[in-house]
Amino acid sequence: MNRKLYFLLGILFTIGLVIILIYGLFYASRPGEIPSALISQSAKPFQATTFDGQAISLTQFQGRPVILNFWASWCVACRQEAHIIEAAYQDYGKSGAVFIGIAINDTREASLAFIHRYGKTYLLAPDDSTGTISLDYGVTAVPETFLIDKNGVITDKILGAITRQTIDHFLAGQLQ
Amino acid sequence: MNIKSLYFFLIGIACFGSVSSGVDLDNRVREIAHQLRCPTCQAMSVKESDAGISLNMKQRIRELLEEGKSEEEILRFFVDRYGEWILRSPKKEGFSLLLWTMPGLIIVITVLLLFQYLRKKSRMTTIPDTRPLSEDEQRQIEKDLKRL
Repeated sequence: MNRKLYFLLGILFTIGLVIILIYGLFYASRPGEIPSALISQSAKPFQATTFDGQAISLTQFQGRPVILNFWASWCVACRQEAHIIEAAYQDYGKSGAVFIGIAINDTREASLAFIHRYGKTYLLAPDDSTGTISLDYGVTAVPETFLIDKNGVITDKILGAITRQTIDHFLAGQLQ
Repeated sequence: MNIKSLYFFLIGIACFGSVSSGVDLDNRVREIAHQLRCPTCQAMSVKESDAGISLNMKQRIRELLEEGKSEEEILRFFVDRYGEWILRSPKKEGFSLLLWTMPGLIIVITVLLLFQYLRKKSRMTTIPDTRPLSEDEQRQIEKDLKRL
């Protein structure tokens, strides 16, 4: 083997290492930027009881798009998106879109105070003490929102406060 | 041994057994939690983290163990929901296999290249120069010898 070939192999090897390093530093180390393992899969069914005592299950909303939001009263970003989701619910609720908020790792009192403070009126329920629903959805932090289409398939996961544009874009395609 | 002693002995065994199995369960939870990445804290394992989600995961591990699930089934449970990144050690298959083999490969290739380079260099320095002396060189040598 001549020197040029060695040199070329060395360069290719180094480029490969750099690519792996970038992957490790910027992609694999930020879970929020890793697509959910559940994208394009059927949303896992769950049951819950809302804060006002209503029993709900995901299956009862078959055929309707669902915005499933995980939140907590101690979460700062949840305060940012509270008005956004409520306003979207007011605009789209009557058109068939379903908005569900699941409170995780929170006390009932704190959750209720949060609901009252931000005037949330859509379906709101606490997760159980072991976070069954949040674990089934692979929730990494709050707020985290899953967009579930009319066929019950998860189309997107948003970590952090959801924007109005994201909701509008999703529902525009679902409520035609 | 009388009946009373036997009775207390058996109770002792039962108590010790249950404590021991409780300790075993805790240890198994810790072992599995150590293999999972905290979804919130990233750099920590579920075992080390006190984040709410990690506490939930530890509780779920315990429940799954009590249901009789194996370690592999429990890890698969979390991988199905979070993806492969939830494992602190990449699986030894597919693209991840490259991550396991790359450091060793780099070392082996480096050592081989270094060995080849040193061998080549040593071969060059040990080859004797068998050219006959030129006339100028011969004259210079005689001149130096006379001076001595």
